[in-house]
Amino acid sequence: METHPGVPAAGSSPILEVRGVSRRLPSGGRTLTVLDAIDLTVPRGEFLAVLGPSGSGKSTLLAILAGLDRPSAGEVRLDGERLDGLSEDRLAVVRRHKVGFVFQSFQLLANLTARENVRLPLELLGAGDAARRADAMLDDVGLGDRAQHYPSQLSGGEQQRVALARAFVARPALLLADEPTGNLDSATGARVLDLLVRLRRESGTTLVLVTHDPAVAGLADRRLHLRDGRIDA
Amino acid sequence: MSPRPWPAWLAREMRGSLGRLLFFAACLSIGVAAVVAVATTSSAIDRGVRAEARRLLAADVAVSSRRPLPRKLGDTIAATPGARRADVLELPTMASAPDVDGSESVRASALVELKVAAPGYPFYGRLELEPEIGAIGDLPADACVVGPDLLERLGVARGGRVRLGDATFRVVATVVAEPDRLNISLTLGPRVFLSPAGFARTGLEAFGSRIDYRALVALRDQDPAAARRLAERIRAAVPDVEYDDVETWEEAQPALRRGIERVERFLGLVALLSLLVGGIGVAQAIRAWIAGRMEAIAILRSLGFRPREVVGLYLAQTALLGLAGSAAGAVIGSAAARALPAIVRRWLPVSVDAAADPYAVARGLALGVGVAVLFALPPLLEVRRVSPARVFRRDAEPLPASRTVRAATAALLIAGVAATAAMQAASVARGAAFAAGLVVVASLLAAAAAFLIHVVGRVPRSGGGVALRYGIAALARPGAGTIGAVVALGVGVLVVVAMAQIQGGLSRQLGRDVPADAPTTFLVDVQAAQWDGVRSLLERAGATGIDSAPVVVARLRAVDGRDVADLVPDGPDAGRKRWVLTREQRLTYRATLPAGNRLVAGALWSDPDRPEVSVEREFARDLGVGVGSTLRFDVQGVPLELEVTSLREVRWESFGINFFLLVEPGVLDGAPQFRVVAARVPARSDDMLRNALAGAYPNVTLLDVREILGKVVAVLDRIGFGVRLLGGLTVIAGVAILAGVIGAGSIRRAREVALLKTLGMTRGGIVAVFATEYALIGLVAGVVGATSAIALAWAALRFVLEVDAVPGLLPPVVGIVGASALAIVAGTAASVRALRRRPVEILREE
Repeated sequence: METHPGVPAAGSSPILEVRGVSRRLPSGGRTLTVLDAIDLTVPRGEFLAVLGPSGSGKSTLLAILAGLDRPSAGEVRLDGERLDGLSEDRLAVVRRHKVGFVFQSFQLLANLTARENVRLPLELLGAGDAARRADAMLDDVGLGDRAQHYPSQLSGGEQQRVALARAFVARPALLLADEPTGNLDSATGARVLDLLVRLRRESGTTLVLVTHDPAVAGLADRRLHLRDGRIDA
Repeated sequence: MSPRPWPAWLAREMRGSLGRLLFFAACLSIGVAAVVAVATTSSAIDRGVRAEARRLLAADVAVSSRRPLPRKLGDTIAATPGARRADVLELPTMASAPDVDGSESVRASALVELKVAAPGYPFYGRLELEPEIGAIGDLPADACVVGPDLLERLGVARGGRVRLGDATFRVVATVVAEPDRLNISLTLGPRVFLSPAGFARTGLEAFGSRIDYRALVALRDQDPAAARRLAERIRAAVPDVEYDDVETWEEAQPALRRGIERVERFLGLVALLSLLVGGIGVAQAIRAWIAGRMEAIAILRSLGFRPREVVGLYLAQTALLGLAGSAAGAVIGSAAARALPAIVRRWLPVSVDAAADPYAVARGLALGVGVAVLFALPPLLEVRRVSPARVFRRDAEPLPASRTVRAATAALLIAGVAATAAMQAASVARGAAFAAGLVVVASLLAAAAAFLIHVVGRVPRSGGGVALRYGIAALARPGAGTIGAVVALGVGVLVVVAMAQIQGGLSRQLGRDVPADAPTTFLVDVQAAQWDGVRSLLERAGATGIDSAPVVVARLRAVDGRDVADLVPDGPDAGRKRWVLTREQRLTYRATLPAGNRLVAGALWSDPDRPEVSVEREFARDLGVGVGSTLRFDVQGVPLELEVTSLREVRWESFGINFFLLVEPGVLDGAPQFRVVAARVPARSDDMLRNALAGAYPNVTLLDVREILGKVVAVLDRIGFGVRLLGGLTVIAGVAILAGVIGAGSIRRAREVALLKTLGMTRGGIVAVFATEYALIGLVAGVVGATSAIALAWAALRFVLEVDAVPGLLPPVVGIVGASALAIVAGTAASVRALRRRPVEILREE
């Protein structure tokens, strides 16, 4: 079953439903509980900020939401589909159609030019007009003239803008962002954040953003505080 | 320097790099194994030849000559107390199976190597016969012993009759093993043994133009000095001894051993090549290792280590690792050498015990450690440039590079390669030539690879699948570091493909029917009175292009008034010069220039007053003569002085009858002579002609060019086998290096895998992407290596071997496809760990 990407499904079923999710990791002979009985529902189109000190489990939660990591207990539904029990390859296909990512350290493919990085999600979907859409997206983030550059030839802010273009180009239903401004100076960070907010508004994409910056969190519709793996009410 | 804990520092620095360092050692092991295997095998063969030297000579001292041995020799031997003598003579001739006993008509015939042995032969070793019938010298005059292959060729059983010259002989036994027959190289045909009494019945000695006379002497005193003393006395006492060959068992077959040594030098260089390719792997391993140790080096520097101490620390580790890798290689090489004689036994004249050879192992260790240190130097010297400021800022500028240090490093590297090659080739000049050639080839390969990668990078990446586009992108990415791997793999492909092409071209040229205008058959020892009859037999067999020339056998006595005895050089490298001076010279005469000859100096028969000779150009160079020189010959007792009035260039590859020495007509009319005849005989009449000749003119020897070329091809195939085997090791070293390069980038690759999975690519898709990238690397290496191989093979065939053969296209295609396939296998194997990376790890790293 595949839903058309990007377009909210009929009705108003939530994009994400998390029920009793825990994540335990073995650590030096004992078990470390990174996430403990998390319940969370994210409606379509919402901008949710996840806050918390380092080690509170923010990134692990993000990984579980994307099917990159598996919960030790509990269940996760993405667009109504249960993620636990899916094979690695099936999870990859789900991400391909529904999830976009922005990372703190950009994570562009060093082999590929900016344009090729942006085209990749479309190519994975087999989109026929990948070239045109990728170029349009790069224009949209203001990097139309840097399309032929390799990541190593771009500044940090430019790299993160390419990453945003890559994340939005396939119009995913859900965008997950992990400290997207954490590696940038404050002025560049503010510009990137503005761009992220604008693109989300235009596309109507659900955004789950991890940050420890209250100012960034202030832009969100809702804020979720994590402490020691639990939601801090 | 005050005592510092260097060993502890070394151990600490090596901790945690085990995988990379194992790869480093493996790079060296392959090459060292090849070097050690070649050296061990060849020295084992040499030992075998020395150990069995008496048997191989069948005597303590042997004197051989192309003319009957002089009486004076007998006197000298007789004056040595306890010395015994047995004469042996050998000649090629025709053996045939008569239709009916006593009739002249023949049903089968073959060229044989006839050997006549007097009682006493062999003094050492044993002639094994089936059945054992006693000494060959005591054979009855009507009996012969033959090689089993002759019985098969003639369709005769033991007890049957074989005709040689004018007489027929009963086959009483077959030869199982002959102590002094060196069948490592070409033999003309099966062996036939007669006693002197039997040989006298054949009447062949009267015609024999190519009899090798040999006196074998056994001494009572087994001390090598006794043999040396006798050889000295013979050289002093026997007249014209410079035309003869006096050999003692102690010299142990110098010609055979020189041949083995030449093969060893050649194979040793091919083995060195795989070691040097391994050196590229060492350089890359060190570079990757250092790249991962930058922080550590900066910290050491900030703690007060001087740059040269840091370099020393890493250089010592390199040497230690080089030693470990080389030791592993030496063990593998010794084991391989031990297994090899079992495979090549039947090609060797002696039994070989290839036990581990300390000298070969030492050579392998020295070369392995030397190559490791040499190739590690350039990346290690970069350590000097690490700024201690990296401790505070990761992007601290590296210290400025010294141009002098760089140039010196490059020079040292090239000098080192030349030194290793000189060691393997046992010659400084050959070592330098090898190093120069290698530097040129490696530079060309690197340039071609860089160019191809650049071009591939410019291909618009719009069409094709994701895997192809991504693979191309990966290859073209700046700083991908694939050029070294491409060069290494390319050198391997170059060696294997070029050798296959040269050997294939040569085999094709020799193996296919001889050129349409060239003779297929030579007849030797045709007497003047037999010529008309022989000619009509040839015509009846459908022969075309019948050509013949008279031959007068002579000895060269003086060049420009100086005696040949004074001109003959001594020493091992005197071979060719000695040969041109002392060989049995074959003179011919005719009024006009033969076809395929071209005058390059002087004019033919231009001096009305003096008898003239025209000399082939290279022969003249070896003799040291030019137009205006004089040559004095001894024509079977009659002196003859000739003036050189022209030099000729001869197209030898026409296979026609050609001579070094062409004499003005009229001068040699009265001299004893015979004719050589060349003709083109249709393959279907070969047997008929040979049988008819053997029946009517049993003294005439028939040489079948097709058959001889077939034997040459067989020998070439044996040498080619060894070269391809060693060349294959170069390919393996290249593939290992490619795997190493990919493995060294596994951290970057693991991140890519995680990211691609995060973006929604399946594992199958990622494997396809990587396989495409590796296939492209193999493709570029294959194309560059195979293209260079075609050029090299073409040049070698054309200019060195002077063969008119076009390199075949199959080896390059196999090389390119094989390189791609190997690259995919090695690359994918090296990426397995990266492919297992789970995408979540990419988030954990942050």
